[in-house]
Amino acid sequence: MAQVKTYIRSMRGWWWRDPYFVRYMMREGTSVFVAIYAIVLLVGLLRLTQGEAAFNAWREALASPVSIVFHWILLLTVGYHAYTWWKVAPKTAPDIRIGGRALPPMVITAGGWLATIGTSVLIYVIVRWM
Amino acid sequence: MADKQTIKIEVLRYNPEKDSEPHFQTFEVPFTHDTSVLQGLQYIKDHLDGSLTFRWSCRMAICGSCGKMVNGIPQLSCHTFLRDYYPGKVRVEPLTHFPILRDLAIDQTDFFNNKLPSIKPYVLPREEKPLSAGAYVQTPEQFHKYYQYSQCINCLLCYAACPQYGLNPKFTGPGALALLHRYNADSRDRGWRERAELTNSEAGVWGCTLVGYCSVVCPKDVDPAHAINQNKVNSTLDYFGVLKFLMPRGGA
Amino acid sequence: MQSVQADIVVVGGGGAGLRAAIAAAESDPRLRIALLSKVVPMRSHTVAAEGGSAGVIRTDDSLDSHFDDTVGGGDWLCDQDVVEYFVAHCTEEMTQLDHWGCPWSRKDDGHVNVRFFGGMKVQRTWFAADKSGFHMLHTLFQISHKYASIKRYDEFFCADVIVEDGRVQGVVAIEIATGEFFLFECKAVIICTGGAGRVYGQNTNAGIVTGDGMGIAFRHGVPLRDMEFMQWHPTALPGTGILITEGCRGEGAILTNKDGYRYLQDYGLGPPDPWPRPKAMELGPRDRLSQAFWHEEQKGRTVATPQGQVVWLDLRHLGAAKIHERLPLITEVAKTFAGVDPVTVPIPVRPAVHYTMGGISCNGQAETPLKGLYAAGECSSVGIHGANRLGSNSLAEIVVFGKVAGERAAQYVKAVPAGRSEAARKQADAVQARLLDLLGREKGERLASIRDEMHEAMETGVGIFRKADGMQEACARLASLRERYQRGLKLDDRNRAFNTEWLTAIELGFTLEIAEVIAQSALHRKESRGAHTRLDEFKERDDANYLKHTLAHRVADGPPRIEYAPVTITKSPPRTRVYGGEGKEVVLI
Repeated sequence: MAQVKTYIRSMRGWWWRDPYFVRYMMREGTSVFVAIYAIVLLVGLLRLTQGEAAFNAWREALASPVSIVFHWILLLTVGYHAYTWWKVAPKTAPDIRIGGRALPPMVITAGGWLATIGTSVLIYVIVRWM
Repeated sequence: MADKQTIKIEVLRYNPEKDSEPHFQTFEVPFTHDTSVLQGLQYIKDHLDGSLTFRWSCRMAICGSCGKMVNGIPQLSCHTFLRDYYPGKVRVEPLTHFPILRDLAIDQTDFFNNKLPSIKPYVLPREEKPLSAGAYVQTPEQFHKYYQYSQCINCLLCYAACPQYGLNPKFTGPGALALLHRYNADSRDRGWRERAELTNSEAGVWGCTLVGYCSVVCPKDVDPAHAINQNKVNSTLDYFGVLKFLMPRGGA
Repeated sequence: MQSVQADIVVVGGGGAGLRAAIAAAESDPRLRIALLSKVVPMRSHTVAAEGGSAGVIRTDDSLDSHFDDTVGGGDWLCDQDVVEYFVAHCTEEMTQLDHWGCPWSRKDDGHVNVRFFGGMKVQRTWFAADKSGFHMLHTLFQISHKYASIKRYDEFFCADVIVEDGRVQGVVAIEIATGEFFLFECKAVIICTGGAGRVYGQNTNAGIVTGDGMGIAFRHGVPLRDMEFMQWHPTALPGTGILITEGCRGEGAILTNKDGYRYLQDYGLGPPDPWPRPKAMELGPRDRLSQAFWHEEQKGRTVATPQGQVVWLDLRHLGAAKIHERLPLITEVAKTFAGVDPVTVPIPVRPAVHYTMGGISCNGQAETPLKGLYAAGECSSVGIHGANRLGSNSLAEIVVFGKVAGERAAQYVKAVPAGRSEAARKQADAVQARLLDLLGREKGERLASIRDEMHEAMETGVGIFRKADGMQEACARLASLRERYQRGLKLDDRNRAFNTEWLTAIELGFTLEIAEVIAQSALHRKESRGAHTRLDEFKERDDANYLKHTLAHRVADGPPRIEYAPVTITKSPPRTRVYGGEGKEVVLI
């Protein structure tokens, strides 16, 4: 077959073309913060194995003003991560039908949000009163 | 003759015989309360510029021909109405992530010649059944496992919505993968195993990062994002050799 | 010009074309089958068919019953031997589609469900929600991928057929993306190009339903049969003409006029209750229902809307659950295009042209009088619809006779020697020259003006009800439009690559010829039968003079020559067509 000179449009700047994609990139971006926080906690675990002095030093570092600000940012980003995580979670579940009707995705999402908030509160209480 | 309202329709033009690049051209088009974007384009072609090229057929959102970008969002132009944009401008472009053949017509051959055939889009029968044995028995429960995914009209809006397809043309893409799931989930089909190599690959479900825009733009609520991502679980179980215990006789 | 070698070329990738290609491939996997379609196959108009496809499966049903309903529905203009073959093979085709994956709607026990349809005494319409054509087409298209011997040529516009030594030897097609001409050298051609509804302005059809295959066959001396019988579907949306399926009425919907009155009882289809009841009231045949609308409009009992006069199709009593399960597409269509939710508001509807009962004359084996040329589906007149088609017989027709055409063509090509390439090539060059000339005209009319005038002539002169003077005027106007078309159109688009204006102009040439055939055939049939109803002195059916098929033969630069051929009667001697009457209410599942 003869070839026609088709025109291929560039993908440059694709993600800020549409608000949906911007939100997607923000969502994906929060993974970076989740990773950072995981590393912070892993370092803490490591310090715990290195003895009381090391662990206390780690805790003091976390109490610094810079660290507090950074942790507020982490709370927001990890929170947004959890929020969007549960919003898409129903897409990974199989098709569930109960009583001849499809399970509304909001059931999984809302359940997940509640579980996240509940677990967070529980951990906070445990840590606070330890 | 009553003064009809008019609206500006800005279309992306590209003539492969003359242009090196696409460019916009604006037309002033009369419209009423129920004039669709497609009818606007037809008015331009009939009365203003017969060279404006675009695909269309059924005008009732079932054939899948008329997909376009309308103000940056993939839509079927036959059921998108000019009244919703007035008094603003309506910008019509060919579906993104596809090469432009001419004006608003894209090169669809990647989907029809590569992606669609690659998923084996037909029932691989679980059992050999002669016609004399009659139709299969399929309960409402079995039916609903796949029916939603069989609604795809191949309009390619989801491909225009999928940045992964735009960035990586080897990705099989939402529409074809939804159809792959449709067959795997049909009780008459045994095909998971035969489709597994594709499903489990980067070109298959693992090329998807759950942007989810495909399901938002789908005019038939097929929910390709769901079709693909529930198979990430299946694919993982398959990797660990566990899937076969959950899916006896090779089906889903 | 590029040349492709094939054994069989199928023109048209809808239900009939795909089924024919598959049947030929199954018949002999060594055959080279080229499937040409001017659109990608799933865009073919089969996709828009909604209600369902007939096939006898109930124990209280029989082939004789389906036969009787069909022959009566066709007002005895059917070739009964072909109808006998047809009804005997519907169910196996529906079963085959099921085996291929078609998602037929089922009862709770998992067995296929069947619904009532207009003019049918027993439920026998298999359905896939209200997207039966969509699902059948996608099933056929997808399963066709299994057959390596079927080579698809998507977006190839078939411009003509090559006839040498009294038989078909090839097809000339335009590759739409590039505008290049291709010669497909072959031994048999199966035309499956669909109907010609776009002859009229108000129609349920897609833009592609322009009668190309009919026009091509016609130009090669194949007569077009029974073209005066055009079906108006009684329930289409005003303005766009978008189809609201008969399946609504199969589920129990009713039609009311501006007074909320079920007016069909005034036209021999009553009594209104009990409801639902087969072959009565809203389950009467389409020609009767469309004619009733016309009468109501004359009496001033229809409702005025900005898009024209309408009546109401009321589904409210069916309930939301049933409407959403059985009729999801029309729910969406009604909301999007008419702004009404059928659960709470009746849908405004009026008749629109929907189906072409007539077509390329062929026998029960899909063979046309031209050797090597076959036809199947709406483009053909195989003899099962007669003067009026029953709903759900068309989706069944495309697969039953698609298969027949594929198998016959496969047998034929084995026995026939290869054609003469040189001669075929010369003809193809002539076709190319003629069509490129169309592209290059410097002076002429705009395409749209000729098209719009054709619509106007047809709607006014050859509508639901016809009169001699109206039809004569239409014939005269169409003859003049034919001449204006010959004199030339001026196209804005001079490109070769993807020139849809040029292709539309070629299509318009076919459509104009077919319009003239319809008008002339109608004028010459001096009786009323089925969908051809006259308000002049020929108001009644006249079996003595007109129990015969109309055959229109092409005459160069003139109106077609009209002749007649006998109808084959076997088991069912002509009787009065009766609908309505007393009966028991049926329980719809």
